Amino acid sequence: MFFNNLKQLHGTVYINDIWCKGCGFCVQFCPTNVLDISPEFNAKGYHPPYAKNPEKCHDCQYCQMICPEFSIFVTKDDEIAKGEAEK
Amino acid sequence: MTKKRTGVFVCHCGNNIAATVDVARVVKEMSAEETVVYSQDYVYMCSDPGQNAVIQAIKDNQLDSVVVSCCSPSLHEKTFRDNTTRAGISGFTCEIANIREQCAWVHKDRDVGTEKAIKISRSAVRRAGRNQSLEPIAVPVTRRVMVIGGGIAGIQASLDMANAGLEVILVERQATLGGHMLQLSETFPTLDCSQCILSPKMVEVSRHPKIKVMTYCEVQEVSGSVGNFKAKILKKPTFVDPEKCNICDDCTQVCPVVVPNEYELGLTARRAIYIPYAQAIPASYTLDEEACLGLNPIRCGKCKDACEADAINYDMRPETVVEEVGAIVVATGFDLYPQENIAEYGYGKVEDVLDGLQFERLCSASGATSGHVLRPSDHKVPKDVVFIQCVGSRDPAQHCAYCSKICCMYTAKHATLYKHHVPDGRAYVFYIDIRSGGKGYEEFVQRTMEEDGAIYLRGRVSKLYRHNGKVKVLGTDTLTGQNVEIDADMVVLALAMQPSKGTAQAAKVLKIGRDKDGFLAEAHPKLRPVESVTAGIFLAGAAQGPKDIPETVAQAGAAAAKVIALLSQATLSHAPTVARVRRSHCTGCEMCVTACPYHAIRLENGKAVVNEVLCEGCGSCTATCLRAAIEVKNATQMQVFEMIEACLA
Repeated sequence: MFFNNLKQLHGTVYINDIWCKGCGFCVQFCPTNVLDISPEFNAKGYHPPYAKNPEKCHDCQYCQMICPEFSIFVTKDDEIAKGEAEK
Repeated sequence: MTKKRTGVFVCHCGNNIAATVDVARVVKEMSAEETVVYSQDYVYMCSDPGQNAVIQAIKDNQLDSVVVSCCSPSLHEKTFRDNTTRAGISGFTCEIANIREQCAWVHKDRDVGTEKAIKISRSAVRRAGRNQSLEPIAVPVTRRVMVIGGGIAGIQASLDMANAGLEVILVERQATLGGHMLQLSETFPTLDCSQCILSPKMVEVSRHPKIKVMTYCEVQEVSGSVGNFKAKILKKPTFVDPEKCNICDDCTQVCPVVVPNEYELGLTARRAIYIPYAQAIPASYTLDEEACLGLNPIRCGKCKDACEADAINYDMRPETVVEEVGAIVVATGFDLYPQENIAEYGYGKVEDVLDGLQFERLCSASGATSGHVLRPSDHKVPKDVVFIQCVGSRDPAQHCAYCSKICCMYTAKHATLYKHHVPDGRAYVFYIDIRSGGKGYEEFVQRTMEEDGAIYLRGRVSKLYRHNGKVKVLGTDTLTGQNVEIDADMVVLALAMQPSKGTAQAAKVLKIGRDKDGFLAEAHPKLRPVESVTAGIFLAGAAQGPKDIPETVAQAGAAAAKVIALLSQATLSHAPTVARVRRSHCTGCEMCVTACPYHAIRLENGKAVVNEVLCEGCGSCTATCLRAAIEVKNATQMQVFEMIEACLA
């Protein structure tokens, strides 16, 4: 729709359920509200997060930065590949 | 107290008063009053002989107070008070009894009219019986002006006042000066480029030693009165230091956020950190706090990392600045009537239906498409374009009752520009009638029809919707009486002008009136068109009513001239009919302090004290005081009671 070709950056969130202790920092601090607490339990008996709105991730990597258990990380989506795939 | 010597002067006002009021009887009744030593009538009291008669009577009869029974005090109170001063007694001993607007004009029966005129005059005589001789209060003047709104009106007013030597503070809520005029592509009727004629003025404003430009700021609170206003201005944080920013554009390259660009009316996208236009003043980026992922270097901080000039500072906070000014010019401009309100034209949701400003951006060389007219849905050149006039205007049943004045002209301009860009395209214009009053305007519309070949259809469009990749437009041509169906590539709506959101806010902050449509109300529609009802606050531009650019510039110049005249005086005089405290009665309950709308009363040693400069004599304090310890001079409680008594007798 837009006339100029600015593209929104996108990222994909990966969550390591096994390491998560369900502190909820990532859910609380995500600026675009990608994450939410999952109703599922992990092996330790915590509720890990899950990507509720994965399309909203802008690859800011804040969750990765603040996770005390190193159990979440983000990768930048290849914009060109994604654009091609859409066509 | 020695007995007053009052003179009563009753005016015929030609037949205006004399037709319904027996003037001679009023004179006779008044002369029977205890304090009245002289009374007379005259056919036109406000004429030169009439006024001289008053002066002569004052001198001959040693009068110390005067009552003039005539028209409304809003018209001739000043005339007669000045006249009384010339006769050697204080002008504030002169009272006006309004026997025209409040009596003669509203009655038909002569007996009833005369009876009421006698009562009104008698109550004024009683009031005059207790009037004190007062002298106007001299108030020092702050020789600075605040202009609210940085569009063409605000820019012009600021330049005119600054060139006359006044210090100007220009407050703009957006990140750049320029307003809507900066968004236009060309201007009617000469088709000169809008930015090219505006940007020299913007540069002049920004470089002028007497003008302080405050962009991204909002006026939050204004107190004081003419000559001495105090304005609280909120400086919103831009998070970019304009001194350090060198506009290298590195920050937007790394910003991950994309939001619609409001300066291009959503035709393009921008980053969270952005510069509205290349010519923006101040030439600096702004970080949109709402769109940013979070002002936190850990969270994102990509722009800060990229900025080599180190201009980005996430720790900027909103700041409040207090400025003292003598006068205020309000030039807050217009917004377009929301497309979402127009159901028959798709609530703004049908693709390729644009508003006038969006079409300006499409035609503009600096716009979304670099001056190529393309339609937003598929970026192809539209071959059939329908322009609809009076969308939201002249529709008292559903939308705005008024005519937005500029739409006939800008639609003709749009059709011309479109035909210049796409010579083989077809432009259809639906109109109610063409209002092209103005120098060269009618000729311009004729040129659009005849030379540029725009097809003008007199009638309205009833409905439009998407159909087979085009916009189906259903309308009527009332001249042929036939229904018209057009498969348009693009539709441009000439939406009504309405007062901007900032206008409503400014009116609230400045406590100035708005008319029924929300535009700022002028003090008098014909004789005081650039002044608000509040002294010292002036109006300019489309905030006061729909206007084109030449009219806006003229009004801004007029407002500037008024301010220059006001602030060229060393002191202003202030009416001495202000509140006075009877200290022995005052208990210091502070009820008057809270009631005063002008913050003129404070408590000192447990008693109320009035700041005479700020007091406007409204009487709110008198009404709240339980012990009659505060009252307005020459409108004391005793006077009010006697006036009531005179009316009821």
